[in-house]
Amino acid sequence: MAIAALGLLVIGLLMVFSATTVPGAHQGLWVRQLLWLGFALCAAWVAAAIHYRAYESLAYPLYLLSLVLLAAVLVVGTSAMGAKRWLDLGPLRFQPSEIAKIATVFVLARRFDAPRLDLTRLRHWLVPLLITSIPFALVAKEPDLGTSLAFPVILIAMYYWAGMPLGQLALGLSPMLNVLLFFLTGSLWWFGALFVGLVAAVRPKLSSLLVVLALNGAVAYTMPHLWEHLHDYQKRRIQTFLNPGQDPYGAGYQLIQSKIAVGSGGFVGKGFLRGTQKALAFLPMRHTDFIYSVVGEELGFLGALTVVILYAIVVLRGFRLALAARNGFASLMTVGLVSALFYHIMVNILMTIGWAPVTGLPLPLISYGGTALLVNCVQLGLLQNVALRRQEY
Amino acid sequence: MSPSSPANRSRDQRFALLAALALCGFLLIVAGLMRLQIGQHDYYQRLAQENRVRPEVLRAPRGAIFDRTGLLLADNYPSFNIVFRPTPAESAQRMPVTSGWLARVGQLVEGDTTRLKTLVAVANASGQTAVLRRGSPFAVAAAVEESRSDLPGVEVMIEPIRHYPHGELASHLLGYAGEIGDQELEERADQGYRPGDLVGRTGVERSYEEVLRGRDGAEFVVVNAWGRRVATLREGPPLKPVPGHDLVLTLDLRVQQAMEEVMAGVDRGAAVAVDPRDGGILAMVSRPAFDPNEFARGLSVDRWNELAQGGSNPLLNRAIQGAYPPGSTFKIVTMLAALRAGVATPATRLKPCSGSYAFGGRVFGCWKREGHGSLDFVEAIQHSCDVYFYQIGTRLGLPRLEATAHAFGLGDRTGVDLPQERKGLVPGEAWYQRRWGSHMRKGLLLNLAIGQGELLVTPLQLALLAAEVSRDGRPLRAHVVQAVRGVDDFRPGRPSQPGVDADETAWEALHRGLELVVSAGTGTAARVPGLAVAGKTGTAQNPHGKDHALFVCYAPVEKPTLAMAFVIENSGHGGSVAAPLAGAVLRRVFGADSLARPPVVQAPDTSKVIRGD
Repeated sequence: MAIAALGLLVIGLLMVFSATTVPGAHQGLWVRQLLWLGFALCAAWVAAAIHYRAYESLAYPLYLLSLVLLAAVLVVGTSAMGAKRWLDLGPLRFQPSEIAKIATVFVLARRFDAPRLDLTRLRHWLVPLLITSIPFALVAKEPDLGTSLAFPVILIAMYYWAGMPLGQLALGLSPMLNVLLFFLTGSLWWFGALFVGLVAAVRPKLSSLLVVLALNGAVAYTMPHLWEHLHDYQKRRIQTFLNPGQDPYGAGYQLIQSKIAVGSGGFVGKGFLRGTQKALAFLPMRHTDFIYSVVGEELGFLGALTVVILYAIVVLRGFRLALAARNGFASLMTVGLVSALFYHIMVNILMTIGWAPVTGLPLPLISYGGTALLVNCVQLGLLQNVALRRQEY
Repeated sequence: MSPSSPANRSRDQRFALLAALALCGFLLIVAGLMRLQIGQHDYYQRLAQENRVRPEVLRAPRGAIFDRTGLLLADNYPSFNIVFRPTPAESAQRMPVTSGWLARVGQLVEGDTTRLKTLVAVANASGQTAVLRRGSPFAVAAAVEESRSDLPGVEVMIEPIRHYPHGELASHLLGYAGEIGDQELEERADQGYRPGDLVGRTGVERSYEEVLRGRDGAEFVVVNAWGRRVATLREGPPLKPVPGHDLVLTLDLRVQQAMEEVMAGVDRGAAVAVDPRDGGILAMVSRPAFDPNEFARGLSVDRWNELAQGGSNPLLNRAIQGAYPPGSTFKIVTMLAALRAGVATPATRLKPCSGSYAFGGRVFGCWKREGHGSLDFVEAIQHSCDVYFYQIGTRLGLPRLEATAHAFGLGDRTGVDLPQERKGLVPGEAWYQRRWGSHMRKGLLLNLAIGQGELLVTPLQLALLAAEVSRDGRPLRAHVVQAVRGVDDFRPGRPSQPGVDADETAWEALHRGLELVVSAGTGTAARVPGLAVAGKTGTAQNPHGKDHALFVCYAPVEKPTLAMAFVIENSGHGGSVAAPLAGAVLRRVFGADSLARPPVVQAPDTSKVIRGD
């Protein structure tokens, strides 16, 4: 896993180099990325060296800190492209949402590691839901829809790994299903039918049922309103994703250019440093969000496939590590971290090939961005941490 | 975690499901890649080569600048740049740069072919547009436009440059805006500046850069391989350019023109006119001046060096950046300080002037060798008698003199909305301690009382002093911008100095004395028939050659609408050099029609488009 991750980091650096050697505003940023990489690897080593029990005991303070930071972003954050995501700390700018993700994983792992956990009981599953909802809401408010969705993904994966039955999971997820079906069908009836079926199959405790019902009711009530409150650019992105031909040159510009870049790469690519879409600056955000387009254009299908395989190794080895780890906290933490990583990979890559909305999420370990790189490396360091001590209880 | 719980599936099963899900995800990606890169490769290959979509910057026009009556002082002017836009390297239709092409283009842009060749090669390698000729005449631009089909890649790009219709007029106050430099570009990268942007460098152009500058927009255009625009793409709302705000200055073009004409013969010096009713600057001249248009068009290194390093430094705005000893104009401050402190009354007669005054083992001379004889305070300022003011100085002491000077805002920045203003200097006890490590010797106080010694003031501070005296010490905030169009709550700042408190008899005596200066004293050269002018001459000794000539004044005395200060470097006496200049301006301004009309805030509406386009 470590080797695969290092391979990704090297590819990332090369691609950032390639994307930023083009003359223009971002020229030469790869040097900074290299410095960050050194720093990030040190941080990863530190994250691996400290026993994970320390993280377990620090989970709540860290979580609270990250909430404070998230709130601070909303108040004093620096905005980029209409969204406040960054905190300015002198020369550093960082996204507290990255820290919040890790902190949330710690807290959830700690909660789910309780001795007599029964996730069919209301109290046992509702508290983690609330714990996840707060950072989710704060990040969504920034607004950073893409990143905020990582929180439910983490929660679901950890619910499941902690032993929640699938049927109940589906029931718990029903508010989200509700949203999805609303968007797909435009009516709430489909969901109603599904919900009745689910309840019949799972037969939840009354208290749980009531809460789930209340949540669904709330969602059903707010959905149409929420749509009104999405930022214009968010609406446009979703609509563009659903129908890129509708506005090919306005909001669809990024998608189309990215697809042209990847598609024109072909089987073997145009060669390192020889991408033409990139060179003519057609590729927007080529060193950050759309770095995978540069991979696809310059290294072709073979290069893009290599990256996917490396990611698959990291993710699958990560899940296996969760299986191997004997300590409950360590195992749960691993699942949480890996699922967050997986989510980011999927959303970013599917975006560059036009199968997911443009969200502005960086590609883990490859995209330009100091703090993202740092946090990704720390995540890997934490996995390494578990790997080193997987025999411990 | 309770893996043994009967309700739970085994961990192995859970792992299997998670792993399967992840695998499905990755397979989905691979499927997507195969579809794009293998299945549809040809299609996208063609798109990459032929159909080019490129973002084009829509430049937001910089705000224009008007005087208080709505007359234009600065706007934008289209400049035609001949550029070369490269096509993608692998494009089938890529223009081979033949010698014929080079020759034709070279002929059009009047450049040599080797330079062209390098420019084109660099552009092709980097994919960036290269400017072949900046600011070409319209005829050339038209010729290029006509032969575009024969000359793929070559285009005319219209870029706004700054235009100052009055040339040198008020050049220091307006400043200039020029193309942003590489270093500045780096410093201001986070503010969204791009190569080719205009940026304010000095004067109002600099201090109101954020307001004047608009926000560029962008549109996406589809071009074919010949660089021809096939279609304009629908642009999103955030991409529309937002024009900069227009500025309405307090400047009055009539007053400025009068002052410019009068100052035209001055080698080095400055003059400022302030409206005593609100502190608005009516005119500001600094000599030597420069033509901001020259900077807007772009300056050669030689020409820049000539301007920046030439002996008299035309770029220096002497009105706010030149600090001069005030000379006898400072007697206004001394007199008021004495009357406030009660060390003398307007009728006080001191030891008669015999042409010199002995103090502390030294002899201090009066400018009038033969002496003024016995004078009261009003007569003393009328004739600018040094001996009288020496005696006042010894009675007054430094702290009270210093306090009154500061109350008028001397020794501090006025806070005018222009960049790089100097503070000047009003030395106090603490300053002498720092500077000399000892108390001030009393002899220095005598010099300060007549405005010599370490005192330094800017012409703007002097004009403001005259304006504040004319309104009995109520403080003013000097300002240049009266209104920002489109910004309703724009207000000039509040005065930073406290103003001067004195009883009415003191002010009355001062006004009377200053009026006598012009009607029958040292400043008769500034006399204007039918107009009550109050003024004070000054002649400042300085170690670098001839004396500086100074004059401050305000008029009409009963209801002042104009206060001015003149400082003419190394030219001689205030009464004979500076006062006549003030008189000439006063005659021009008050001769034709009165300034006593309300300031015009609303200027006629002019459209935001680049004029002349």
